[in-house]
Amino acid sequence: MEMNQLGVVTTFVHNIVVYNIPLLYGTVGEIVVEKSGSLNLGVEGIMAVGAIFGYIIGCYTNSMAVGILTAFLFGALCGLLFAALTVSLQANQNITGLTLTTFGLGVYFFVGNGLKAVAWPAMNDYANIKNGFADLAIPGLSQIPVIGRGLFSHNVMVYLAVAVALAMWWYLNRTTPGLRLRAVGENPGAADSVGINVKRYKYVHTMLGCGIMGIGGYYMALNMSGSFNSTCWINGYGWIAVALVIFANWNPALAILGTFVFGFFNTLRVSGSSLAAAFPGTLGWLAAIPTQVYQALPFVITAVVLVATSVRKREGSGLPASLGLNYFREER
Amino acid sequence: MRFHVVKRDNCPLWKKLCLYVLAVAAALGLGALVLLAMGVDPAAYYYRMFTMGMVGNKIAYKTFENYLKVFVPLALTSVALSLAFKMRFWNIGGEGQFILGAVAAATVAFKLGPSLPGAVTLVLMCLAAMLCAGLYGAFVAVLKVKFGTNETLMTLMLNYIALYFITFLGETKADWNFYLDPKSVRPIFASFADIVSFPKIPLVGKFSLNVCVIFTLVIGVLVFIYLKYTKHGYEIAVVGDSAGTAHYAGMKVNTIVLRTVFLSACLIGLAAAFKVGTAGILSTAITDDVGWTGIIVAWLSQMNTAVIFLVSALISMLRYGSTIAAATFSQVDSSFANMLQGAILFLVLAADFYTRFRVVPVQKGGKN
Amino acid sequence: MPEQYAIEMRGVTKTFGSVVANKDVDLTLRQGEILALLGENGSGKTTLMNMLSGIYKPDKGEIRVDGKTVSIDSPEDAKRLGIGMVHQHFKLVDVFSAADNIWMGREKAGLTLKGDRYAEIGEMVKKFGFDIDPKKKVRNMAVSEKQTLEIIKVLYYGAKVIILDEPTAVLTVQEIEKLFEVLRRMKENGHSIIIITHKLNEVMEISDRVAILRKGEYITTVNTADTNEQELTEWMVGRKVDLNIDRPVVEKTRPLLEIRDLTIKNDEGAVAIDHVNFYIRGGEILGVAGIAGCGQKELCEAIAGLRPIQSGLMIHKGDNIVGLSPKAILEKGISMSFIPEDRLGMGLAPSLSITDNMILKNYSEARGPFVDRKGGREDAQRVIEELEVVTPSTETPVRRLSGGNVQKVLLGREIKAGPNVIVTAYPVRGLDINSSYAIYNILNQQKEAGVGILFVGEDLDVMLALCDKIMVLCHGKVMGVVHAHKTSKEELGLMMTGALDLTNKYEDKPAGYAKDTNITDEELRELEQREGEEEQP
Repeated sequence: MEMNQLGVVTTFVHNIVVYNIPLLYGTVGEIVVEKSGSLNLGVEGIMAVGAIFGYIIGCYTNSMAVGILTAFLFGALCGLLFAALTVSLQANQNITGLTLTTFGLGVYFFVGNGLKAVAWPAMNDYANIKNGFADLAIPGLSQIPVIGRGLFSHNVMVYLAVAVALAMWWYLNRTTPGLRLRAVGENPGAADSVGINVKRYKYVHTMLGCGIMGIGGYYMALNMSGSFNSTCWINGYGWIAVALVIFANWNPALAILGTFVFGFFNTLRVSGSSLAAAFPGTLGWLAAIPTQVYQALPFVITAVVLVATSVRKREGSGLPASLGLNYFREER
Repeated sequence: MRFHVVKRDNCPLWKKLCLYVLAVAAALGLGALVLLAMGVDPAAYYYRMFTMGMVGNKIAYKTFENYLKVFVPLALTSVALSLAFKMRFWNIGGEGQFILGAVAAATVAFKLGPSLPGAVTLVLMCLAAMLCAGLYGAFVAVLKVKFGTNETLMTLMLNYIALYFITFLGETKADWNFYLDPKSVRPIFASFADIVSFPKIPLVGKFSLNVCVIFTLVIGVLVFIYLKYTKHGYEIAVVGDSAGTAHYAGMKVNTIVLRTVFLSACLIGLAAAFKVGTAGILSTAITDDVGWTGIIVAWLSQMNTAVIFLVSALISMLRYGSTIAAATFSQVDSSFANMLQGAILFLVLAADFYTRFRVVPVQKGGKN
Repeated sequence: MPEQYAIEMRGVTKTFGSVVANKDVDLTLRQGEILALLGENGSGKTTLMNMLSGIYKPDKGEIRVDGKTVSIDSPEDAKRLGIGMVHQHFKLVDVFSAADNIWMGREKAGLTLKGDRYAEIGEMVKKFGFDIDPKKKVRNMAVSEKQTLEIIKVLYYGAKVIILDEPTAVLTVQEIEKLFEVLRRMKENGHSIIIITHKLNEVMEISDRVAILRKGEYITTVNTADTNEQELTEWMVGRKVDLNIDRPVVEKTRPLLEIRDLTIKNDEGAVAIDHVNFYIRGGEILGVAGIAGCGQKELCEAIAGLRPIQSGLMIHKGDNIVGLSPKAILEKGISMSFIPEDRLGMGLAPSLSITDNMILKNYSEARGPFVDRKGGREDAQRVIEELEVVTPSTETPVRRLSGGNVQKVLLGREIKAGPNVIVTAYPVRGLDINSSYAIYNILNQQKEAGVGILFVGEDLDVMLALCDKIMVLCHGKVMGVVHAHKTSKEELGLMMTGALDLTNKYEDKPAGYAKDTNITDEELRELEQREGEEEQP
């Protein structure tokens, strides 16, 4: 392999990670919410809200940490709204989630367009954000050819995403609150009867999960270098996250792998032509495929996975048994 | 004093209405606060929005026509979705079905429009749109009955696949691509408004009514009768209530599911045909989000056709009115409508709680 | 100074919408006694106890624990007060192990889950004198194991007062004995126990005192030693009742429905009904007894054509009905009604009106595209009058009716269609005595009209009195078909657990083969041939 080809492959692997990370935040966030028994279809809107506020406030304070925290906070606020409606007020989860998406996108464009009319903060003007989002090579590991730069030289939010996913896996499967959370999602009546505060668990974890989604939105904002136009930064990623939860079988650790598949196709869209140029003989055909095909592919694959998982019903599915059902203690 | 929440048996209609009106008013109040913060007079803004700038306007008939163009697809899509929802089939693929219907209708208009009489072309456009959208919906239903595939997520994925399909058509300059305007260097959709479009029936003065509006109303009535009085409607109600019972009663549940979802998607296709047949041009934003909004309209109306029309009329007013108002109040982005719509729905969902539950104080004491 | 009770409820009232479940109820529980809470189904026993366990909040009234007035707002509060309840529908997480089901409610469980929790729970289980594998998943447990787990759970959380809601309903005679031993032991250890039941013999056997509820109201509390079954019944029902169920003698006809070598799988793919033979004649009631989940549901569904069978013959009046659609089987006059545990799952569409439920099976007979609601309304009116269904109107959704009325609607519709075979499972599930007797009467009338009835039941006393013959199932196998007037509860109990096999009791033919069979030799040959093929794939 020539140097040029090696470089292209390295960039390709690198980009896969770049594109799967926002999905990882979204997916892990949704897993946490769904494990509490709530099917939240508002991921798209929540990520958008987290993105816009995270970006603007992050820029104004010139601090990425503040940006991340803000995105988390606004995501969590959306979660609070969702929980208030579905847990306390017993509203239908599907409708509440869809409304949250409409509302979230409304807020996103309202704030974004409103600010753009006055003065839009450009990411490049804020050194801390720009540098904060720069790649950070892990000493040692990043020296490995191809995968070193591809996997171990990324911005800090990439590492954070993996850490969050692993932490959530540990939390769900290895801790007592995680055990209780799973009990709430499986059988809230049983959890309630042993004294677990079902409402509190649902509120806290809906907010935690939605906060994580918000960070994913912020990542997308920075990845787009903060350029605001008529296409939303999230652009359907929230919906893919909803589907990826199934793909990952409600397991945050598996979500890391699951998102790679989707990152792969997204990367093909962006770097397909450079791959085609570097390997004209074997991969030349990549250039002939329209970008919309790459854009649609994640959805096609999710659809195929959905069908495949429904055909062979797995033993040990992570699907929480009471997903989508509201819990009312005095139900008769 | 302690309180606790108990279920209601039923809630009188006037109470429900009061609660919903209160919820909408509260949402508008919240919106007013946002407007005030931006230095806009809420009363002026809302006045402009809800009258859609029609008062004292010489071309009010134009506004009225445009309003109906927003109303028709939304109302018809919501009615269509109510069919599936009544059966508890979560068809949230209205967007995708609408897009495929629109593309099919446009195909007929471009290919057959020039050689056939207008009326025939229009009928063929409707049929093609219904068929394509119907099959797109039925595909999910097949998977659902065969493998138990989750229809919510499946229809969701198909929405995006359809969206990128129409984007592909709209952005790919090629000899075969007759959807695009050949005269333009940049890829833009071609108009077929000169070839064919739905006729209008004149009313008072310059006001007129597009035949699509009449068709939509007629279909609404038909769907109402279909759901309420026919055997099919009865089957839908039973399957929706308890699929086990339907099976037990000897109903062919799979057939009923397929038929109903097909019909639901067909009507969404028809809504799309009405839309493109009136607009005379495709667009990647052809759906105007009716696939999403329709879900919420159908659900909030509790699948009651008459209520669907009322709610659709209000939401269309909100959406179209806000674009008009945005022209006058340039500092308020038209996405304000989305926010307002979200706020209204949240508060209506909250109000809904009080129609189903009561909060009562716990009393002390007994007979001793 | 008045006696200090473990639990004292004063003037407790609870309503659900317009339904008054408990009205001004007083209840006392002494320290270290077993109190039976007796009442018919629907008399508000469970509701009352749910107010102690924190599931429901009373609208009115006072609860005292050890003399102190308390407010129990949640199960957490109940747990803290030392009140534990074993619910009739177990509150367990199916995918968790036994240990985790207990661990999840532990107060100071630490942040991380450690492997030694299994050992700790295992020791506790032994200390309480039970035998359960802490690592076993709940979904792999038998019903009695789940119940034991629930009891351990309650003890583990340190409950002083233990409430058991109909604990014997799902157990066999032998398992009930074991449970009662456990209860007596717990009482010796100083626990106070409330046991909810509507079975008088159990009340007499286990309790120290009996509290009686009727239609949500408190009637009285008596010492068990000072009363008898007849007196208790009168308090429970409110008048003198004849506890005898009629068994009219009817001339029997040739077999209407014959089942030969029937094998069915359940939803999980395991064998639910295993080479079963039986037949039903016109004018007889054949009871089906067995512990819960031993194939009753699958059998009913297969006869109604709702579930495919693996092998076997189902001959109705000489015609094989295997493979026919549910509709075709309906048209042959076979009616199936199954009352599942939630009582609404099969046979009725709960959100639809009585009228709409009446036309469920014949709506397609109307001419043209429209349904005939006029006919349905007339039928509904007739069923309401004849079976005394309490309802505001024919247009009331079935969901709003009380349990007994729901079941009357269901049976009424089935009988209206004029079937010749009635398969009915748990038709009196959850009904009070009067409604139950109304249902028995309906079945007896049908029997006298020459209908063959398969009655899947729970209560052995009822089956012994009502049925002509009783077939006992154990793990999908027939343990024998016995004459109801020649058998006993003990014998049935042994057969239900598989300890006693009477399939070859009669030498002339195995159980379930009719002498005057309608099955032709050709059909039998085909059956044999097919089975032969299956064995040699």
